[in-house]
Amino acid sequence: MDSSVYQVYEDEIQLLEEEIKLLSEKYEDIQQESTFFSDEEVLMAAKLFQREFLGEHKGYGPPVDLKAEVESLERDLSFLVKFTGIQIISHSKKTLEKTVNRTVQKHRLSGNCQSLPFSLEFQLLEVQNKEKVSTAVTDLSITMESGQYSEISKFVSR
Amino acid sequence: MLLYEEAWPRMPGAESPQDCPCVRPTPEPDLPPGFMEEEHNSEEKENAPCERSLTAASRDGGGQMPAAPLAQGKVERGKVYSRDGVLGYLEMLEAQAHELGLKQEEKEQQEKKLDRLKARVQELRARRDELRAKVELQEKKLLDKEGVVTDPARPSAQTVLKWKVKSIKAMLQVFYLTGISGKLTKQGVCFCISTAYEGTYLDSYYVDLLIKPVVKIQRHSVPVFIPLEQIAKKYLQTDIRRFLSVLADHLNAYVGRRHQADQLEEHFSDRIDGTLQRNSLCNLLVFNYTVSTNSKTFPFNVKLLYGDLCCSLPTEAIISCTPGTLPLLAEMAAAHSNTFRHMALHKAFDLLINAEESQG
Repeated sequence: MDSSVYQVYEDEIQLLEEEIKLLSEKYEDIQQESTFFSDEEVLMAAKLFQREFLGEHKGYGPPVDLKAEVESLERDLSFLVKFTGIQIISHSKKTLEKTVNRTVQKHRLSGNCQSLPFSLEFQLLEVQNKEKVSTAVTDLSITMESGQYSEISKFVSR
Repeated sequence: MLLYEEAWPRMPGAESPQDCPCVRPTPEPDLPPGFMEEEHNSEEKENAPCERSLTAASRDGGGQMPAAPLAQGKVERGKVYSRDGVLGYLEMLEAQAHELGLKQEEKEQQEKKLDRLKARVQELRARRDELRAKVELQEKKLLDKEGVVTDPARPSAQTVLKWKVKSIKAMLQVFYLTGISGKLTKQGVCFCISTAYEGTYLDSYYVDLLIKPVVKIQRHSVPVFIPLEQIAKKYLQTDIRRFLSVLADHLNAYVGRRHQADQLEEHFSDRIDGTLQRNSLCNLLVFNYTVSTNSKTFPFNVKLLYGDLCCSLPTEAIISCTPGTLPLLAEMAAAHSNTFRHMALHKAFDLLINAEESQG
């Protein structure tokens, strides 16, 4: 029995494993993108988690403290909003394409920039080349109240 | 052990026991059985198997041990030969049996491995199909019910929090894409400047700031040729935003210049004579190429100076030709210089080369 017999199976195993990985990521992405929990729901969940967390894990080493993580991330986010003056009111993301090496996502944002409302849409392309991941923004379209064209052109040239 | 368990095979060409080389006519056939042991003590072990096989051979390969062994070893003449012959043959058989055993084992292992692989493939196929069905159902639900899809079952606290974590991280990623983002640290903030050129993201640089008692740069990953200290001196204490903005301008411009030079080298190395010379800040680039006019070729030397460090286009593009040829090429040189000053380097070069080619 030579190794080529194994190779056929091993190749299929690799393909299947890749496909499974992609499918699970796709499932997770769609799940994330199509779910929404309001701030109140998040707050309630945090309280509940705290109770469960303290109850079960008292005395044991710290497992993943989701509540702390959420709070830390929210602190970072609110700092950035204050610092940059960019406040994002709504953000939606949709995965258009996903293969082993390439992901394309469509982003829709709207918010205020220094109290000037804006909304924009773009596509984000991520390509994996050997070990490097390169990211590029394409199809950028910005809508802003008239009168701020200089800023738009600067932004676009980015 | 095998030797004693395997049946004695027929010797090739030996039709009857008499033909077996192990069997020799003995002058004293009725020697007592123990005789051999007395005379050849040191070789007892070797002879013992020999004895048995002899007797087996003498009984048509029956494999049974008769009561009276032949005193074969006594025969001077054929003694050494036949003992070695038998030994050799036995060794060969033993080796054969051993090999057969190994082959058998190997075959079993190969079959086991194949079974394992087959089972794994089945398992993965099932999982893949299950996931496919899940995703299809998801997509169908989305189409039916526009917008929000919530689980019929009440989501656990963990699910909600995990969702929130992902959601905030997505927003933070958007900030990263704007070019300036950051993270709070114990002693201050660590800012990240993510540079880009024409939509493609390039390097990211970090500046770790301490905020008490005064704002100070604790650590950074800004290259030495960027005038960080100068910029910090001017703006860090009074206006952090301005500091970051100016620093980002410098970094973006540097990265943009470097990217253009890299692209030129990557795509046009065959059209450049020699190599592209550049300094670390990439604000001085020198290279040579050849132009042709009136079906004659002339070398051009280009020196690009980027006077404004926050700009990724050169402020000066000096083209030199071999002395004496300038009058002829002045117009072309001026045109080329102009192109270099107004367009990204690799695009400008592409344009000029193609224009050349179309003119012949």
